[in-house]
Amino acid sequence: MTDSVLTVDGLTVDFGPTPAVRGVGFRIDPGEVVALVGESGSGKSVTARAVLGLLPGTATVRGSARLGERELIGAPEPTLRQVRGREVSMVFQDPATALNPVFTIGRQLRTTLRAHRRLTRAQADAEAVRLLDLVGIPDPAARTRHYPHQLSGGQRQRVVIAIALANDPRLIIADEPTTALDVTVQAEILALLRDLRDRLGTAILLITHNMGVVAELADRVVVLRDGLVEEDAPVHRLFSAPARPYTRLLLDSVPRLGHRPPATPVTTDTDALRLTDLVVTYPGGRGRPDFRAVDGVTLRVGRGEVVGLVGESGSGKSTIGRVAAGLLRPTSGSARLLDEPLEELSRRDLRAARARLGFAFQDPGSSLDPLLTVAECIAEPLRIHGVDGATHRIPELLDAVRLPATHATRKPTELSGGQRQRVGLARALALHPDLLVADEPTSALDVSVQAAILELLADLQRDLGFACLFISHDLAVVDSLAHRVIVLRAGKVEEEGPHDEVLRNPRADYTRRLVAAVPAPAPPLTAASTH
Amino acid sequence: MTRYLLRRVPSAVAVLWLASVLVFLVLRAVPGDAASALAGPDATPDVVAAIRHDLGLDLPVAEQYARWVGGLLSADLGRSYLVGGDIADLVADGLANTLTLTLAALLLAVLVALVLGPLWAVSRGGWLDRALTAFHTAAVALPTFATGVLLILVFGVVFRLLPTGGVPPGGLLDRVDITAQYLLMPAVCLALPVSAVLTGFLAETLRAELRQDYVLTALAAGVSRRSVVFGHTLRNALPVTMTALGLQTGALLGGAVLVESIFAWPGLGLLVEQGITRRDYPVVQVLLMLSVAVFVVIQLLTDVAHAWLDPRVRLGGAR
Repeated sequence: MTDSVLTVDGLTVDFGPTPAVRGVGFRIDPGEVVALVGESGSGKSVTARAVLGLLPGTATVRGSARLGERELIGAPEPTLRQVRGREVSMVFQDPATALNPVFTIGRQLRTTLRAHRRLTRAQADAEAVRLLDLVGIPDPAARTRHYPHQLSGGQRQRVVIAIALANDPRLIIADEPTTALDVTVQAEILALLRDLRDRLGTAILLITHNMGVVAELADRVVVLRDGLVEEDAPVHRLFSAPARPYTRLLLDSVPRLGHRPPATPVTTDTDALRLTDLVVTYPGGRGRPDFRAVDGVTLRVGRGEVVGLVGESGSGKSTIGRVAAGLLRPTSGSARLLDEPLEELSRRDLRAARARLGFAFQDPGSSLDPLLTVAECIAEPLRIHGVDGATHRIPELLDAVRLPATHATRKPTELSGGQRQRVGLARALALHPDLLVADEPTSALDVSVQAAILELLADLQRDLGFACLFISHDLAVVDSLAHRVIVLRAGKVEEEGPHDEVLRNPRADYTRRLVAAVPAPAPPLTAASTH
Repeated sequence: MTRYLLRRVPSAVAVLWLASVLVFLVLRAVPGDAASALAGPDATPDVVAAIRHDLGLDLPVAEQYARWVGGLLSADLGRSYLVGGDIADLVADGLANTLTLTLAALLLAVLVALVLGPLWAVSRGGWLDRALTAFHTAAVALPTFATGVLLILVFGVVFRLLPTGGVPPGGLLDRVDITAQYLLMPAVCLALPVSAVLTGFLAETLRAELRQDYVLTALAAGVSRRSVVFGHTLRNALPVTMTALGLQTGALLGGAVLVESIFAWPGLGLLVEQGITRRDYPVVQVLLMLSVAVFVVIQLLTDVAHAWLDPRVRLGGAR
């Protein structure tokens, strides 16, 4: 037992009267990658922060977390400061906010280095360059003089990892290190972490909700649920023979590429949406050239058809969604919404046309007015478009999205994320739209909730027959729902076709790379022999 | 940056022009007549009419305005009705005093904000938090004329520690220690509300910055809490605080008028006050235009400082 890097035992964290973590225990051996997996509210991030004493003052922490022989829980601040960044360091979710925007990369590395080591400025500079090189940043010496905003998302995360590695720690705690990144970048960062573990022997505590990431990187998995350990098992056993029903539910909820039988193509000549040579530009700030978010896209969604629009960040998929919902006018090209040319519609005509359009947003938390009740939220489009008998429709709509009628009088803040998204769907479908634009409707949700919402959406579409433009960065989610798929890259269409062809036998080089980058929710078989 | 500044010039000119029209019209709308005020209560209508003609007040308003602006553009600020001298000379006399006072107040306000702002940001719910809240509320709420009179009463009359008003007899530069004694009360009086607003703004901005992810990154890297506040968040809070400071200079300029009258500080504020009570339009017009111009320039400087402090503005937006 003594040779483990970190031993957590009976860890309990309370925020006031609400327990967040209730007696969690696990251990990490040198060079081992342990994944702490769970849905939101399971206590995985709180556990990690409690270990380093980084929780706000309102938290009470009990139990034990030993780094080697040293107890960290209740240790005085100076001791913890010695540990933080020196023996245990952290990598956070969003590299865009994890770096201080007003300091250069080099300065931020130097600060960390000199917090623990006596180095001259020149030595620290040299060490910063070595670290940037170690994490695969090209031309590291020049990069030390750059500010975070001058780097891409993937490079920023590499810098965050370089900072974590600065003082040669025994353990890196990585809290959702790839969640804010595109899949191709995620694949690079996962490869980097694996490589660093192999080369430097650093143990990693990986906190994630993504089973694909777990399968790619972890040696052992600790599944958390409501602040308790559900299961603690080697990664292969967990995926092949989960001991607990909850683990099985988690694994079954993960959408997988290529598991759905090919959908029957929708053959119709009537269009729900037709974009021809669509161009949308955003003005550049302060003398910079305009930004072409959408650059000559032609696409069509037939009546009753579900078209998946996939692409990485900056591909223009959300901009197309806004045009399709009549929220944004094209810079050039034409957009026909339900056979009406968007560019010729007056403001009033457009408002009337919106009655036949539904829009489902990514974050149900911020797209519902917190001051209205659920019933008022759903009734709003009916009221705006002067539909009578709105009150009679509420129970019917709530029933359609499988929410109990008693929820009508609640406020959105009293609902869970999944319930809120159901309310959002009920609102989008209140007017029986002919076209639903859904922009990442499940990416803010936990996997088990996501699975339920996707199933609901598929059922509703089959029953009501609306056309749907489904926008997502998640290829597996799109594969589970769409008839046809369109792959976007930098504002242009890269590939288009039936979902089973595009996502299983991609022709375009870029699509092939995208599909390959999706982490498979099962550990690689080659590694199985070593365990 | 130069191009960005050049783009701002048209709007700055527009603001100045609009201000000149407003200043001119508002002063014409003030009840009372400059000519009869000048002529005195016993003057005959003929005398008043002669004075009015002499000052050009019998011309159409548009023509009066055109003459005034034309003069300003050719660097002729006009002549005071009352004193008779060139306004440029009057302004030059008061300018040094007012600059000394406002700069001292500005410095004081910035120092107070830089010390109390971070302290307030990190003290949550303790006695320090309550004390600073009380200071903030009192300093923002108390009008300058009340604090000024109170200060004079306490330190000038009861304890007789500081002079109750005026400027040092030998001039500002004669003996610095004496100048400091004369300057202290008016500067504190002028700085108080500005320092409170700045302190509150800086503390609030710092609290928001302390919730940012990079703070957690720094803490997790073993950086001490103190250097996180002073090294990381303060630097991030400065650009916006700079903008708030720019807006507060307006409050300083306005406050100077009151403070200078309270402490008999012979600066531009006192000149404005005298000009208004004696209906000396040309003097008031020029001084108001001057303060507008100062404000416009400070706004430009604030933007430059903001860009200089924030690399995201300086080196172009995020990609």
